[in-house]
Amino acid sequence: MRRTPGVISRDLAALAGFGAVALPGVLPLPVLVIFPFALILSLLDIRPLAGRRTASVIVLLVIALGLFGAVATSALDLVIAAVSFATLVTCHRMLAEPTPQASRQVLLSGLLLVSGGAALTGEVLFAVLLVAFFLCASWSMAWLVLAADEASVDSAERRAISRQLILGSLATLVMALAFFVVFPRLSWNLANRRAAPGLGGQTGMSDTVRLGGGGDIKTSARVAFRVSLIPDPRSERLESYWVGRHFDVFDGAEWRSSGTPATPSSVVGLHRGAQRSLNQVSQEFETTPAYGSRTLVALDTPTFFARARSISLSGMVPMALIHVPGDQIFGAIDSNALSYAATSDQLSRIDRTPPDPVGGLAVPNLDPRIATLATELSGGATESLEIAQRLERELKRRYEYTLELPGDVSDPLADFLFTRRAGHCEDFATALAIMLRLQKVPSRVVTGFYGGERAGDRYVVRSGDAHAWTEAFVDGAWLRLDATPDTGRAASSNAWTAAFTNAWERLEAWWRARVMDYSFQDQVSFARQLVRPSRASAPEAEASSPLGTRVPLGPAVLVLVGAGLLVLAVQRLRRRAPHPASSFLEELEARLKARGVTDVATVPLEELSASLARSGHPLSPAVARATRRYLEARFTNRPLEARERRALLAALETSNG
Amino acid sequence: MLRRLISSIRRALKPGRLLRITPVGRIYLLLTMGIGLGALNTGNNLLYLVLGLLLATIVVSGVLSERVIWDLEVRRLLPEGAFAHEPFTVRYELRRKRGQGFAVRVRESGSLESAGAWAPVIVAGRPVVVRAVATAPRRGPWALEAIEVSTTFPFGIFEKIRTIAVSDSLLVFPRRGFACDSPARDQSLLRGELGSSRHRDGTADLADLRELAIGEDARRIHWRKTATTGKLITVEREREERRQITLNVDERLSGDELEFACEEAAGQTALLMEQGYDVGLDVGTRRLRPAHGAPHERRILSALALAGFGSER
Repeated sequence: MRRTPGVISRDLAALAGFGAVALPGVLPLPVLVIFPFALILSLLDIRPLAGRRTASVIVLLVIALGLFGAVATSALDLVIAAVSFATLVTCHRMLAEPTPQASRQVLLSGLLLVSGGAALTGEVLFAVLLVAFFLCASWSMAWLVLAADEASVDSAERRAISRQLILGSLATLVMALAFFVVFPRLSWNLANRRAAPGLGGQTGMSDTVRLGGGGDIKTSARVAFRVSLIPDPRSERLESYWVGRHFDVFDGAEWRSSGTPATPSSVVGLHRGAQRSLNQVSQEFETTPAYGSRTLVALDTPTFFARARSISLSGMVPMALIHVPGDQIFGAIDSNALSYAATSDQLSRIDRTPPDPVGGLAVPNLDPRIATLATELSGGATESLEIAQRLERELKRRYEYTLELPGDVSDPLADFLFTRRAGHCEDFATALAIMLRLQKVPSRVVTGFYGGERAGDRYVVRSGDAHAWTEAFVDGAWLRLDATPDTGRAASSNAWTAAFTNAWERLEAWWRARVMDYSFQDQVSFARQLVRPSRASAPEAEASSPLGTRVPLGPAVLVLVGAGLLVLAVQRLRRRAPHPASSFLEELEARLKARGVTDVATVPLEELSASLARSGHPLSPAVARATRRYLEARFTNRPLEARERRALLAALETSNG
Repeated sequence: MLRRLISSIRRALKPGRLLRITPVGRIYLLLTMGIGLGALNTGNNLLYLVLGLLLATIVVSGVLSERVIWDLEVRRLLPEGAFAHEPFTVRYELRRKRGQGFAVRVRESGSLESAGAWAPVIVAGRPVVVRAVATAPRRGPWALEAIEVSTTFPFGIFEKIRTIAVSDSLLVFPRRGFACDSPARDQSLLRGELGSSRHRDGTADLADLRELAIGEDARRIHWRKTATTGKLITVEREREERRQITLNVDERLSGDELEFACEEAAGQTALLMEQGYDVGLDVGTRRLRPAHGAPHERRILSALALAGFGSER
């Protein structure tokens, strides 16, 4: 059974299983490398482990011991160790002689991989891989059943088998959904893994801001976090700044933060008294693995953080918050993703934290042309506010935005201002901050995000929305200034990519709401709807329906069940309905019996006709005609018309018998 | 009315299906249980999704396998003769009125020893004939009551078996065993011309023409040659002497003794007939005169097969 459909689909099923465990990005690197290698060898029908069973099993046992040791010493998570071992067993069986037994072992270990993937990930892509695994595994198992005689199956029979399998697979998927909906949820999602590290963080929310790098991140369409806002702005796009970190120490190439972390606490309030402001916007955040940072962001200007939870492989756990002076908030523990609540005041300049008397104005040893340029751009203004606004305006007007900044330079700021005359947000923010300081206005650089797109009832902010800007301490409060040209603020990802990620985001939102968070309460409300359709308003009804539809589910299900029963009944009736020619036969037999032909009931009509012809019975010609027409009507495509039928029966009456 | 109701309930409770779990099916069920426990323990909805898929696979497997075997008609085509403990071929004709059937295995239900026959695909309207090698562990008449048709389609995790009542009878001849002693010539039959060592019954092939000796049977005169030559010419046949043996089997024997006797007789019948003997049989209740040829051998074997089965004859 070399490279038969069964073996190829088996390998593809194993690939889907591997994809399910590779998706969270937690598999050890050797395992990630070994599987693709083994898959390629198997697809090329190269089986180096055929005939080396004992040696290879010993190697597997050694690896198992190693993994056990890693688990025992807490170096590796138990589930990760288990799926790693299952992956290696899958590779081992794929590279062995492709017997039906080995193929079944590959499929069973693939099933273990899929289950491991279910325990490790929460991505919607898992559903795609699960369906792919199921289809390939079904196909493979069916061919394994036929493996004894696969060669004797011709192409028409292959098509027939394929049809059955496709129908069966569709029925299985529908039934699996039904099982998923009705299987009682006896626990409460205590160990649900909602997120995984994926491909790692991409937002650039690092501890420092180093000038001179490119701006690749701006083209990334990966979702960094999702946020719901109260009150809901109800706009498709937000023109909002999401504050992450403040940096106040610049060494000529890199910004750092000078604050000292405070003691962790469960809630952090900022800017005393600001929470009572009427301009408060409540936010519920959920960051994704793409965010990849412990820093908490919130709309400018944040006033309150609470209810922080870490979403990690071990589930959702409450997390303490660390406040660093300068309004920077961190989660106390590393995690794949975070969820937390925050409030902000978007309208008032409420941040009145005084800058460090020295650090707020400190300027490193820079190119002297920068000071001259700062004076020139400020246009002789003397007021701090006017200086800040002029510098912001002039930088925005005179310099271009670009992400093409290859190479490393010794003085990136001078390079930006005098050589390239183009840069990205960090260059603009740094230039403005330094020029402000040179003009004796305290300043700092802020990193975070700019923008936000509507996705369902929430907003998503992408990695590409990462941004840096400047804050100046003007008139006793910090003022936000953004010297970056407008074109460079939001994400500059490809339109197609953005459209795709939008659609994907909607799918993910549906997936999280309808699948990941499906609970016993949802089952109860679903059952209630079946029994007594909700009288709630349409949006409420939609929200409580597990399928997210406005159709009243109870009547819909009843209609579906009724339609199904009707189809079955019609099929049964059709099956039982006699052939139209049969009634003619019955009538014919009755007439013959009436004319004294006694053995009508026991002898088939054609034999009776022959017998009558042999004996020269006077009814013979009429019976022969009727018999022939009956057989034609019953077994060929010549139906018997009512008039002809009457004529044939009448001929029996008129014959002299 | 009540009786009909009871019988329909019985039919519903005993649908004539048997579900056997294959070795891979056992592991599959264990994994399903494990994943189910994992889902219940953790409340992980993705595990519930996997569990739903596994359970649905079991249900669909049952439905598809039922579709394979429910509409299947089987006819048994038996060989003309079979010997005990010796493999022989049984053919089965499989047909269905609608749809297709896949991976169908056919075997005898609880009688003959057989690995069964295998039909990968059966399409409606196209009968398929498959062969199985079977062995009967004893001689005698066999009542074949039912045939088992089974399939592991589609996923190989269960084998669904349907038993179809198909009545046939097969007479199994005794195994041809070796005899320790050579059988004695049957003297009782040597009467008249048959008893004469020079008998000529005119049944053998023509070997020669010669002058009739004195005392020889005048019925063997070849009249045309006699008229031509003017002498009484008789016909010499190839087989001048008939060797006749009647084998005796005492039907009053029982158990292994009777079996050995039958096997010896069967073996000697084949051997003697090959050597040109006319072989007869006396089993007490039945006596066959010595003769030769395949039909006669079959008669002897049938009589031996039925020896001891008086009531079933």
